[in-house]
Amino acid sequence: MITLEHYLILAAVLFCIGLWGALAKRSAIMVLMSIELMLNAVNINLVAFSRFLTPDALVGQVFAIFVIVVAAAEVAVGLAIVINIYRERQTSFVDEFDWLKW
Amino acid sequence: MLQQYAGIGVFFLVAAIFPIIAIGAAWLVRPKKPSRVKLDTYECGLETQGPTWVQFKVGYFLYALVFLIFDIETVFLYPWAVQFQVLPLFAFVEMFIFIGILAVGLWYAWKEGALEWK
Amino acid sequence: MNQLQMDFNLLTVEILMATLGLVVLVLGLLIPKNQSRGIAYFTTIGLVAILLYSVTMQWTKAEFLNGMYLIDPFSTLFKQIFLLTAILVSVGSYQFMEKYGHNQAEYYSLMVFATLGMMVMASAGDLITLYIGLELMTISLCVLTCFRLRDAKSSEAGIKYIILGAMSSAIMLYGLSLVYGMTRTTVIAEIAAAIALDGVSPLLLLGLVFLVAGFAFKISAVPFHIWAPDIYEGAPTPVTAFLAVASKAAGFAAMMRVLLIALPDLFVHWNVMIVGLTVLTVVLANLVAIPQTNIKRLLAFSGVGQAGYLLLGIVAFTQLGVGAVLFHTLFYVFANVAAFMVVIAFYNETGSDEIRDYTGLAVRSPLLAAVLLFSMLSMAGIPPLAGFVSKFYLFTAVIDQGYVWLALISVLMSMVSVYYYLIVAKVMYIGKPADDAKPIKVSSGLQIALILCLVMIFAFGIYPAPFTDLAMNVANTFFTP
Repeated sequence: MITLEHYLILAAVLFCIGLWGALAKRSAIMVLMSIELMLNAVNINLVAFSRFLTPDALVGQVFAIFVIVVAAAEVAVGLAIVINIYRERQTSFVDEFDWLKW
Repeated sequence: MLQQYAGIGVFFLVAAIFPIIAIGAAWLVRPKKPSRVKLDTYECGLETQGPTWVQFKVGYFLYALVFLIFDIETVFLYPWAVQFQVLPLFAFVEMFIFIGILAVGLWYAWKEGALEWK
Repeated sequence: MNQLQMDFNLLTVEILMATLGLVVLVLGLLIPKNQSRGIAYFTTIGLVAILLYSVTMQWTKAEFLNGMYLIDPFSTLFKQIFLLTAILVSVGSYQFMEKYGHNQAEYYSLMVFATLGMMVMASAGDLITLYIGLELMTISLCVLTCFRLRDAKSSEAGIKYIILGAMSSAIMLYGLSLVYGMTRTTVIAEIAAAIALDGVSPLLLLGLVFLVAGFAFKISAVPFHIWAPDIYEGAPTPVTAFLAVASKAAGFAAMMRVLLIALPDLFVHWNVMIVGLTVLTVVLANLVAIPQTNIKRLLAFSGVGQAGYLLLGIVAFTQLGVGAVLFHTLFYVFANVAAFMVVIAFYNETGSDEIRDYTGLAVRSPLLAAVLLFSMLSMAGIPPLAGFVSKFYLFTAVIDQGYVWLALISVLMSMVSVYYYLIVAKVMYIGKPADDAKPIKVSSGLQIALILCLVMIFAFGIYPAPFTDLAMNVANTFFTP
């Protein structure tokens, strides 16, 4: 029997993998992909809650749809900026973006 | 409930075993005569020119980005279409406002030359 | 379907904003690129008209879509704050955009959309609405941040902003999903009711931690402030002003709504976190600001510090606290945007943001020097300027709740802030300008905006009664459903 806990644990693991990737990866593309992973972990959470706790109201699923759309817009802007910065500097490694001191 | 997934599990198993058997059998019975030509990169039957790990033209990404945005927006169209019969007139108008805004976006992308292949 | 409350008159301001943004974008497509100055004026006029219209809704209190969208004095005042900032910033952008910009229509259109996102955040009565507003704001601001395509610093600031912004959104979203799961609803008023009924669960607390971390990033509270100085330095200066004032105010609006209205029963839990954030923010920001040599970075750290003072109002969790936050935000618009407009005017003429280049600014342009001096003194909280009054209210609000030590730390760090503001003043007034230094020309539009800001800074300090009344009355309506 798959219960709500299974989904929550799956989401938590995915979220942590995404967070680790976002913090540890060098390539800006990989960082953006990791963030995508985090957002999808949230989607699993939302859909699971919606299915198990409020089967009649679809709030969670609607929320997930909005998250998917917004994530696409976010990644589109992110990739566009990466392309632009690559043209300037011939690199897409985040640790080389050091013209502004952290 | 988990039992219902057993069928899918069996399916996965068969799907994995079948190619292993096919490739394994071929590997067992085939004659082994390696040559340099056989290890070459396949490119439509022609000899490859230059390194194969080249960078893709950035135009592909621009197309992909524009496509992605319009592709994802249809997420909202689908539930609307399914419930179309029971929705009030206002929902109909609302969707046209939404599509209108999208059309302005497409017009913008067109005018700014995002759809031109350079 | 029909039982939904949908009175679209309530949404007039938002609908007008969306229309303005689209019209500006379309105008940019129709008008030839070299004649696009009119678009800038059109945007400013449109924003002023919307601001005037919003006054008619000042005391309206109503719900849209069964509580998913709230029109109340609190959100309306915040909308006016965003509009004011957008107007001042758009005036400050004219010269800058003409000199360094391209595609003016997109710039102004994105600015309108970012403002719309902030409005949605301030009015959100539902977690989904809140998230949509937040992302509309963040994504628009991201594009604005890297608007100078040929400037590598601008692009770098853009990529940092989008990565960190998306990451913090994801973290906050995880918190939101847990809150939704534990309360079975996303409507803010119902969340409070559900928690009062079901009590507190560990997952809800975990959600709260993620939520506070996400908000702390948006308002750039220490230790979630690392992005702020970099992005402020790299972004085009008008965008920096917008980021520093409006996006921070929007973060506070949403944070207050979620913490004070949706999660009041978790007060003991979030209070500890917010107090910690406040202490770290106030102390670190003001200390790190001292060695800065770039004026935009200095203002960035001073802005981080201001976020710390604003957090005091949330710690207090009273009407006085909310009112003080509103008043401080209102004054902060004028003081901070004025300071950034001086930086813009100086950069337009000299192309430099370094503090040492401000040497002898008092001779080269008395107006710019005076505005920068008074806005900085005001932010430091020197009487009789506006900052003194608002800080007085913020400190009173926390002392009323027994946090004397917190107020004491804040007062001490305010004094530290006087030190680094005075370093700039010393450079401007005592330093001799270089022999080849020319006077700095300021366009008439910018002059009017600067003088308006200066007048407001003094008005808020000398005769604050009408403004404090407004803020306190709005705060009174905030807690009543």
